[in-house]
Amino acid sequence: MTRFFYPSLAVVAVTVMSLLPLTLDPQGYEIRILCIAMLFAALGQAWNIVGGLANQISLGHAAYFGIGAYTSTILLRLFSLSPWLGGILGMVLAVLFALLLSVPTVRLKGHYFALATLGAGEAMRVIANSWASVTGGPVGISVPYSRESSLWMMQFPTVLPNYYLFLIALVIICLVFWKIQTGALGFRLRAIKENEQAAEVIGVDTYRAKLIASTVSAAITAFMGTLYAQFQFFFDPDTVFGVATISVKMALIAILGGVGTLLGPLLGAAFIIPMEEFANSYFGASVAGLSQFAYGVILVVIILINPRGLVALIGQIKNRIFSKGGSQ
Amino acid sequence: MKRSKLSTSVAALTRRSVLATGAAALAMPALTGRGFAQEAVNVGVIVPLSGANAQFGINSRNGIQLVADEINANGGIKSMGGAQINLVIADATSNPTQAATVAQRMMSQDNVVAVLGAFASSLTLAISEVTERRGVPLLTMSFSDQITDRGFQNVFQIVSPGSQIGAATFDFTRALAQEAGQTLEKIAIMYEDTAYGTSQSAGLRKAAQDAGIEVVMDEAYPLGITDVSPLINQLRRSDAQVVFPVSYLNDSLLIVRSMRQQGINIPTIGGAAGYIIPDFREGLGDLADNVLSISPAAYDQAPDYTERFREKFGYFMVHEAQEHAACMGCLHSALEAAGSADHAAIREQLQNSVFDQGWATVMSGGKVEFDEMGRNIHASPLMVQWRGGELVTVYPKEYATGEVVWNS
Repeated sequence: MTRFFYPSLAVVAVTVMSLLPLTLDPQGYEIRILCIAMLFAALGQAWNIVGGLANQISLGHAAYFGIGAYTSTILLRLFSLSPWLGGILGMVLAVLFALLLSVPTVRLKGHYFALATLGAGEAMRVIANSWASVTGGPVGISVPYSRESSLWMMQFPTVLPNYYLFLIALVIICLVFWKIQTGALGFRLRAIKENEQAAEVIGVDTYRAKLIASTVSAAITAFMGTLYAQFQFFFDPDTVFGVATISVKMALIAILGGVGTLLGPLLGAAFIIPMEEFANSYFGASVAGLSQFAYGVILVVIILINPRGLVALIGQIKNRIFSKGGSQ
Repeated sequence: MKRSKLSTSVAALTRRSVLATGAAALAMPALTGRGFAQEAVNVGVIVPLSGANAQFGINSRNGIQLVADEINANGGIKSMGGAQINLVIADATSNPTQAATVAQRMMSQDNVVAVLGAFASSLTLAISEVTERRGVPLLTMSFSDQITDRGFQNVFQIVSPGSQIGAATFDFTRALAQEAGQTLEKIAIMYEDTAYGTSQSAGLRKAAQDAGIEVVMDEAYPLGITDVSPLINQLRRSDAQVVFPVSYLNDSLLIVRSMRQQGINIPTIGGAAGYIIPDFREGLGDLADNVLSISPAAYDQAPDYTERFREKFGYFMVHEAQEHAACMGCLHSALEAAGSADHAAIREQLQNSVFDQGWATVMSGGKVEFDEMGRNIHASPLMVQWRGGELVTVYPKEYATGEVVWNS
């Protein structure tokens, strides 16, 4: 394959994704599913920077996501501040939170790191639930509904502009991931993944590498939180700070797709989100609960077949086809 | 469509067959006494059918199903040529994002005339963001104030808003105490440490403070608590005159049982949810007797209607089923008056009619009328009390069907 194959594949994919919504109902169901899939692909990719490259399995990324969602929405409600500015402020707060969190967690490894981050996410959920005067408390918070269309205020009459915002965000995040992966930081992070002590011995500043990776990841996750809030218009602490709804799902999408790869979160989200939807729409009414069951079974099966996820699975299938074809 | 399988109506009509029938009807008007059957009217029902609220979602669905079946058996929507009601039922799960997606699906794929649901306020709020933007009417029995204080045009709340229910819980209790010759001075609140428990208890606490009454015990406990004896001991020591345990079913069973076993018989006032479902009585037996609870509606207010539910499903008509049935009743009248499946026309009818026919009458006051905010101006919370497996309305006086038993 030539070295132009993957870039041209990316260009084709982006072009298709840009033209696709024009064929759909701009307020419809399909476009909403695509938006959610892109949201989670972007979140999976953000998680992939720390979870994938450095193998720092975080189960607390909902903390950043919720900070982004709440910061922009609260500022919008109180001061009619544009969600773009609110989103940037949310990123700043998320980075500060990531720095704060890194003080006690950066030396932790494996399960201990996962548990510590899990706790951080839960702490944010409790705060959002109890600090009702600011966050609206357990009932949740709504983005004020404006009937005027405005890009500055991220208010649109249809979902189509949201779709393009998600698409642009996803493309940027993939580029960031690719840049990190192929750059010096990516090598440092992979060195940490392989053997942290050895990495330190050969002169990698592991603390700094992990810190940069986690702040970038936190900032991206927070901005996606803002985009989500402006797309969903209503959320509560249990949703945006949820373990199952955000933290684990982000990790799951990256892991199922192929951890540490550029394509992984994209494949993971493209698979998981439509499947969840399909399961809910076909079993939701008749045998409620079966949808989650079926979904769980499929995930287990995929991970059993190939623990390295869909990317590896596709590679495996490709190899089999090529070897059967008698190449070499 | 697979989702629609649960519905009982004749949904098998295709567009073509309807057109054909329509053409035939036009061709021979003299031969036909009345119009032919029209295309079915799709009504969206989004309730939690899985997860922690599944039982409440199933009750809600049963209530709506009962009304829809009755309408269909009585010849459908008459102003629309006898069109049948086809319920499109979907699982809201317990995730607001998912609930909004389900609403979107119903509107674009099933072309629903209106949406009913979704029991939990967070789900309803998420759905309302979608229905409002597409101008589809949403009828709900979720009681969060936020549902109707955002200035939305297309959301109709059939029960009193939560702040009123919260205040009524406290005010009714005080009034009942007074009638029993007791001046309320000390109350106890215990609540589960969840979104539901925290917000309900906050309302109670505020009402008590406003009334200048001392909260001598104010304890949160983790959901799914296994040993409640420390709580009960604290309650005993607190010398409270009444106790408000805010909890769902399992914890409420444990708390009430332990209290009664330890001989604490002070009036116990639950906050709807787990306190007014048949499972509460089944779990506690006679210990359930005389436990009070606030309820946004009560089946003893309209036995002519609610007994049909008991006949069909084998248990009394729980409040969420009753309120959802009333929503369906209002929608039925609105459809009859509008004579079309047009969202704006239906909304117009919902906004401007007085619903005093059919299932709408099961709500307090025997009628439903929505103000500008979409709130039912006739709705009133009720205080109910367990009496031998049945719930009896004991307050306010104009709705009461029995006398309160204060100290049990």
